[in-house]
Amino acid sequence: MSTTAVDRHGRPDAGPPPGAPVPPRSRSRASVLPSPMTGQEMVLVAVVAALWVVLGLTTPAFLTAGSLQPLLVATAPIALVGVGMTIVIITGGIDVSVGAAIMVCSVVTAKVLVTDEVNLAVAVLLSVAVGGLLGLINGVLIAYGRVHAIIITFGTANLFLFAGLQIFGSSTVNGIPNTLDFFGRGPGGRTWGVPHAFLLTVLVTALAWWYLRHAAGGRHFFAVGGDAHAARLAGVRVQRRVLLAYLTTGLLVGLASCFTIAQGTSTLDQSVGTGKELAVIAAVVIGGTSIMGGRGSVLGTLLGALLVQSVSSGVTQLGWRSQLSDLFVGIFIIVAVGADLLRARARRSR
Amino acid sequence: MSVAPPATEAPAPQVGDTPAEGTGARLLRVLLTQRIALLAVLIVAVVVTFFIQDAGGYLTAPYDFDYMSAALINAVPLAMLGLAELLVILSGRGGIDLSVGAIVSLAGMVFGFLYGEWGWPLWMAIVATAAFGALCGALNGFLVSYIGFPALIATLATYYAFKSLAIVINNQEPISTPPIQKLFSLSRSVELPLFGRYVPDVPLGIFTFLLPTAVLVWVLLARTAYGRRLYAIGTNDVAARWAGLPVRDTRFKAYAYAGLLSGLVAVVTVGQFASARPDAGVSGGGMALPAITIAVLGGVAITGGIGRVAGVVLATLLIVWLNAGILLAFVGNAGAQYQLLALGSVLVFAALLNGLTNRRYGGSR
Repeated sequence: MSTTAVDRHGRPDAGPPPGAPVPPRSRSRASVLPSPMTGQEMVLVAVVAALWVVLGLTTPAFLTAGSLQPLLVATAPIALVGVGMTIVIITGGIDVSVGAAIMVCSVVTAKVLVTDEVNLAVAVLLSVAVGGLLGLINGVLIAYGRVHAIIITFGTANLFLFAGLQIFGSSTVNGIPNTLDFFGRGPGGRTWGVPHAFLLTVLVTALAWWYLRHAAGGRHFFAVGGDAHAARLAGVRVQRRVLLAYLTTGLLVGLASCFTIAQGTSTLDQSVGTGKELAVIAAVVIGGTSIMGGRGSVLGTLLGALLVQSVSSGVTQLGWRSQLSDLFVGIFIIVAVGADLLRARARRSR
Repeated sequence: MSVAPPATEAPAPQVGDTPAEGTGARLLRVLLTQRIALLAVLIVAVVVTFFIQDAGGYLTAPYDFDYMSAALINAVPLAMLGLAELLVILSGRGGIDLSVGAIVSLAGMVFGFLYGEWGWPLWMAIVATAAFGALCGALNGFLVSYIGFPALIATLATYYAFKSLAIVINNQEPISTPPIQKLFSLSRSVELPLFGRYVPDVPLGIFTFLLPTAVLVWVLLARTAYGRRLYAIGTNDVAARWAGLPVRDTRFKAYAYAGLLSGLVAVVTVGQFASARPDAGVSGGGMALPAITIAVLGGVAITGGIGRVAGVVLATLLIVWLNAGILLAFVGNAGAQYQLLALGSVLVFAALLNGLTNRRYGGSR
């Protein structure tokens, strides 16, 4: 817990003093920022690389475009929602309603696609708007209702599920047109062999990475998670930051839902989004974000999502039972967070 | 979340309590600060509402004492897992157990092997299953208490691991051999002795599993030194350590006990399904989220150190009877959807109410 207020080098993790002008000289600013890549991220890069090499050697089909493209496409929605979840967890909260929110966005968008045959841009905007609305509900309740995030989002998860099932109307949505194929697995969803869904995810991750690291508003998220009371005294508008975190998550859920529809068949069933909240949280914590708040990185989350997806893809290609991949996810969470705990302990004793 | 004030329900008499408090104000204060009183009022309100609807002929089947009694079969696993969450959440420092549903799945499969395949005597199989559950819980406790993992992460990891093992252990196949199928008798309803003719038959599981568990957990929390230690470390574990309490050991045991209860729930669910299903505790939304909901609704503060057995049991009754009524109020499977609406609304309502109570009757600032 005490580690949250202290950065990797044992210095106070202040960020630029909120409200005060950012120091003009970039050198002095760089010195208070954490290094661009944390130890956790470097370990993850190594682990993913090692995993890919091992899988490439054991199953020759793994390191081919036909295998890696679906892997990247499947990583995209988890990593994208993970960006929002990382910000939420950095502020010291959590959002367990994203699975249900994905369901609501997916069914609304799919229904509109079927009945109104809208084009790609309208569908994406609609989905993002619905997601943003759901995120706003969470954000308002948590920031202004002053209640525990995990409890409120358990509650809204049920409410979202109800809304989603009502819109489903006790059946599947059939005959979804291929409007969203831009994000899909097919050849229409790739540029130079890289899936658009993954490209967009990397873009969003990069933007979030820059914002969280270099913008005052981004540092405020860390301040809120480190010590909300101190942040308030320092002039951070804590409630607005908290609201923004959940709103961002909702918007990204909306975009991720478009990916989810595009990856599926022309039929959407009611199980869409089930269990995704835990998969997203798993990716975030494997990426080194502290569940206590105040510390974390979206880059780690992207790598965490990639690792989880690589494992499940690898388990399938090795011919093992696909459910075994969950066991490895569990082990990876323990190892990743355990390594982080050990490093924190080493920092403290130094 | 650090923005929210710690959810304390202790009434602070010095805050705004004028000596001449009116009856209405006092009633409001009791309802808001005494979760058990609020739950009791809500239960009465729910039951009366459905009785009136029943009398008006709005329900698809009669909502009477027989139906309410039969619905109690759903209360057995729910309340027992709610009590498991009570123990874990009480232990403080973000205590929570997401893995109870996965333990139910895995322990259920173990029970299926012991009793259904290898023909162990029933009592030995039950004891061994409970012990296995305790072992799973002990793994959580070890990670959280001795290694220092945040509870949410440790139990998320073991949730994945146990869920996966439960499915792989028997190649995704359920175990439903004849001895397991006969276990369905565990979930039958029985007539109470002496005055049984005057009251409805009650599901057997209430007496064989739920009541003993609830009484034992109550004794553990309210009448043993361990219980007092658990409340102490949940309220302030730094103070508890300085007071010389074995903080780690106490917290470790809370997780182990929660695992033990999950193991017992595994036996109950195997009996209810007449089959040891590999996804028993994780299918759909899983069992962990409803259990946490029950605990929170029952007045357990997510920050630790506050919570009572009676609150959890009453919250279970409220949800079970509410759900049972909703099932009758809608035709087809729409009722199941409205149960989600009810559960979500009740939870959000309870959480907002906790916040209001804090601010009005002794909030943290």
